[in-house]
Amino acid sequence: MPGMGSVTHGKPAAAWLMVMSLALVGQTAFGYPEFQQYVQKSSGRTVNCALCHEHPDGPEGLKPGQIGSLTAEEMDRLNRARAAFQPGQTVDSPILNDFGDAIIRTLGKQQLLLLRQSPEKLPAALGTESDLDQDSIPDADEYVAGTHPLDPNSGQPWRLFLNNLKRFAFHVAMLVAATLFGLYGLNNFLRWFEASAAETTEHGLEDAEAFRRVETVTHEASRRSRSAAEAGP
Amino acid sequence: MLNVFLFAGLPYIALVTLVGGTIYRYRSNRFSYSALSSQFLEKKTLLWGSVPWHLGVFILLIGHLIPIFLPGLWRSLMVNQAFLLLVESAGIAAAILCLFGLSVALVRRLTVAKVQAVTSPMDLVVLGLLLFQVLLGLGVAMAHRWGAVWSTQTTTPYLWSLLLLQPNLDLVANLPPMVRLHLVSAFVLVLLVPFSRLVHMFSVPLAYLWRAPQIVIWNNPRRFREVPVVRQFVESRRYFLRGAFGLTAGGTLLTAGVMDKAVSFFRGPAMSPEEQAALLRKRLQRLEMTAEERELELERLRNNYIFVANLKELQPQAGKYFIDYQMRPALAFRTEDGLPLLISAKCTHLGCTVASAVDANKQLLCPCHMSYFDLHSGAPSPGSPALAPLPRLGWALMDAQGKLLLKEGPHGRREGEFNVAQLEECGVFICKEYEENA
Amino acid sequence: MSAAERVQKVGRFVAERFPVEKFSFHSLFQKKEVPIHRMSWAYYMGGLALFFFMIQLGTGLMLLFYYQPTVSDAHASVEYITTQVSGGGLIRNLHTWASSAMIFCVLAHIITTFAMKAFEKPREVTWITGVVLLLLTFGFGFTGYLLPWHQIAVNATKVGLQSIEEAGRYLPGALAEVPAQVRVLIQGEAAVGQATLSRFFALHVVVLPLLVFATLGLHVLLVQLHGMSQGVDRPTKKSERFFPLFVLKDFSLWGFVFLVVFVVALCLPFESFFSFPLFQPFDALGSTPEGIKPEWYFFFVYYPLELLPFWLVMLGQGVVVAGLFLTPWIFSGTSRKTLSIIAGAAAFYLVVITVFGQDIYQFFKGE
Repeated sequence: MPGMGSVTHGKPAAAWLMVMSLALVGQTAFGYPEFQQYVQKSSGRTVNCALCHEHPDGPEGLKPGQIGSLTAEEMDRLNRARAAFQPGQTVDSPILNDFGDAIIRTLGKQQLLLLRQSPEKLPAALGTESDLDQDSIPDADEYVAGTHPLDPNSGQPWRLFLNNLKRFAFHVAMLVAATLFGLYGLNNFLRWFEASAAETTEHGLEDAEAFRRVETVTHEASRRSRSAAEAGP
Repeated sequence: MLNVFLFAGLPYIALVTLVGGTIYRYRSNRFSYSALSSQFLEKKTLLWGSVPWHLGVFILLIGHLIPIFLPGLWRSLMVNQAFLLLVESAGIAAAILCLFGLSVALVRRLTVAKVQAVTSPMDLVVLGLLLFQVLLGLGVAMAHRWGAVWSTQTTTPYLWSLLLLQPNLDLVANLPPMVRLHLVSAFVLVLLVPFSRLVHMFSVPLAYLWRAPQIVIWNNPRRFREVPVVRQFVESRRYFLRGAFGLTAGGTLLTAGVMDKAVSFFRGPAMSPEEQAALLRKRLQRLEMTAEERELELERLRNNYIFVANLKELQPQAGKYFIDYQMRPALAFRTEDGLPLLISAKCTHLGCTVASAVDANKQLLCPCHMSYFDLHSGAPSPGSPALAPLPRLGWALMDAQGKLLLKEGPHGRREGEFNVAQLEECGVFICKEYEENA
Repeated sequence: MSAAERVQKVGRFVAERFPVEKFSFHSLFQKKEVPIHRMSWAYYMGGLALFFFMIQLGTGLMLLFYYQPTVSDAHASVEYITTQVSGGGLIRNLHTWASSAMIFCVLAHIITTFAMKAFEKPREVTWITGVVLLLLTFGFGFTGYLLPWHQIAVNATKVGLQSIEEAGRYLPGALAEVPAQVRVLIQGEAAVGQATLSRFFALHVVVLPLLVFATLGLHVLLVQLHGMSQGVDRPTKKSERFFPLFVLKDFSLWGFVFLVVFVVALCLPFESFFSFPLFQPFDALGSTPEGIKPEWYFFFVYYPLELLPFWLVMLGQGVVVAGLFLTPWIFSGTSRKTLSIIAGAAAFYLVVITVFGQDIYQFFKGE
């Protein structure tokens, strides 16, 4: 395994041994909590095994999605997934959710085992293309933020808000238009009530004077245009 | 030859005349650059003529201009069957509205004496031509369906070829006569614009919408005194109309949106068979979990002893999970002395299930937050987030015939006696009595 | 005092509080005036709370078409609404956001009316129905929180109900058993389970709405009968007509607020502010995720419960609720200036404990 070899050169042999022993334990017992602990620390959000596993309490146990409950066929799938050391293999593990499967598929088991030492490097390894829940936040970013990559309602609130605002721009625009129309209408109704309630005699004379002027001007204009029309084109 | 004149000569003549004529008219006699109002002379019939006509022709103009100037957008919209149907019916409705308005206007021009006095021959020509044009359009819509679609392949490219100064008559050569007549008539109307009241479409009085109301009245003292009252009335009516417009528009939009959402909400989702299967599987799983839980509860309610495992199946290094009387997960081991060891597997920190493997330090690990518990005492190791120890559970050993051999309480007190030979055949049970004491 | 005098006195009291002679369209709507002064904005708070209540009614009814109140199906049905039903996520999110907004408005309403001394004679009954409505609103929040049957819902409900039982430790003799029995009565069984879900569902969608309709009807009727309170010590004598001016302004505000709430509900899932494990289905046999907390509008009692001795918080709570009911009589002689200071202090406490509760908790617990 050339990948492993490069690690032994870069780090003390003891570390390598630890990786391997952890890896062995990891395969028989409980998932990889290093990633979970890193995410909790980096994001401040609570994260549990359901980030990558079927069951929130991890693969250990008797309940659905845990190793104890698997049928022979599922056991078969599990073993195939465990053997997917190289990236690019189709993985459908009965104890992993779609994100877990996607990690194994993208990285391969071998690279994942190495990343346990430095969980902060997982996002870079995953890349930014994959967005399984289609909430416009890449899975890798959701991992760092401690939100769920398979739940479109889980994400950094502000990013989610902006993305959704873009997605629902039409609905929002329509509602803004409806609200503006409505407010305009209510505002004019207010004025209507004010105008119909106001005393009509109060401004009487003043207005009469102003209107005589308006009337004269309008009348003049219409007379002139009439004569123009009669003159013909 | 006639063809060339009608579809290449006439449009250019009309266009040149339109541009030149309107500019000339605007410069020479600006006040005439509108339609002469006759509202002053008669307004009741006018309302029924002018409003439907202008509303209808506005809709029709939009329906004609968008496919001409934004054919791509138009075509993408028309792909939708429902939308196409909507556009066609809206067009026909608008045409009928126009016909109605024009007819009323024509009758008015011909019958009301006061209006007749200000009617020029050109007014009548234009009215008649418009009536003719709308009738033609309606005929086209009726006789040659889905004009909204075919026009983007025929008339739109033809009109563009005119605009680009490379008239392509082949595009219109094979159109039905009614469509061709509609086009010619349109060119004539364009030609007449500078010489008639049609010119007012370039001076659409948008300012009316926000300028202060003006009232034109007969110049006599009695009417004069009424002005303030009338003004008040007109003003409040304006506000009322604006208010009604705003609320209707807003209400319509809101209702449309709510209906759109509500109908699809109550209709329920359209799920693919795979999605349905996944949903059913999930719900079935939940039901099974609930059923299982109920079964366990029932068993614990009824029985004083509950079977955990055969003693010989238990191992010192890897525990077997079971559910205790309190419905919590627990682990069963067999210690070196051959007797069982039962310990709660519910982490005292946040209740995760503790892993079943025993590590080299004889400790159990809770994987959720890395609490280590001593297998024998249950005590958490220093530094673990859990502070309380995992409690030990009492157990009973029974042989194959169900005879009780040995019991051990949660605090290690044993009752009964055993011999090692018997142990291999024994089953391990949990006992209700220890739960009640605990 | 003779019996006849006593009856007369009661009659007078009722007649003053329920002036039947004002029971006409004219005096309920046309004559009513709304004073104009620097606190006028507070007159909109009650209407806003009413508006949010109407949103809750509408969205709640829609959710009722799909929700299934059983422990095995509740979570799946809520998930079905959110992810499968077209527009379901929006409706549910609207219900969630509007519930928070409604509670905010109700709190703002009660604080401002207190500061404006709107409980003064003859408005005692209005105030008391208002306090009942506040408690009912909290009841809505508490019962509705359980219905999705996810981790935070069930566990927070457990914590909430547990605190009832705690009270038993401070009661003498046979009384000590009472709180535990009350808890079982609310829960319907020994632990939070199907019976609890059924009860909370019934409370949330039938009992509480009916109670609110009755109380709210009385509340609004009394508000219309007595008109708006003057609100300030020295009235400005300026006022505007309730109908149509104030009503139209109310509608305008509602329109704007609806726009905001709708956009937020459309684009910002309420759940995105929480860690995702909290929204996984509750599993009685599984683990409890970290970060179980009640909804923000219970922080004002939750954090004190975490920090202070239990009896102290319970005592304080009892005093506050009793004080709220007796406010019209306790503060009948207090000036609006003093009332404003008390109301300001209450608002300050609520804001600080709600926004900085977690920090205060960590500061004192040293975590």
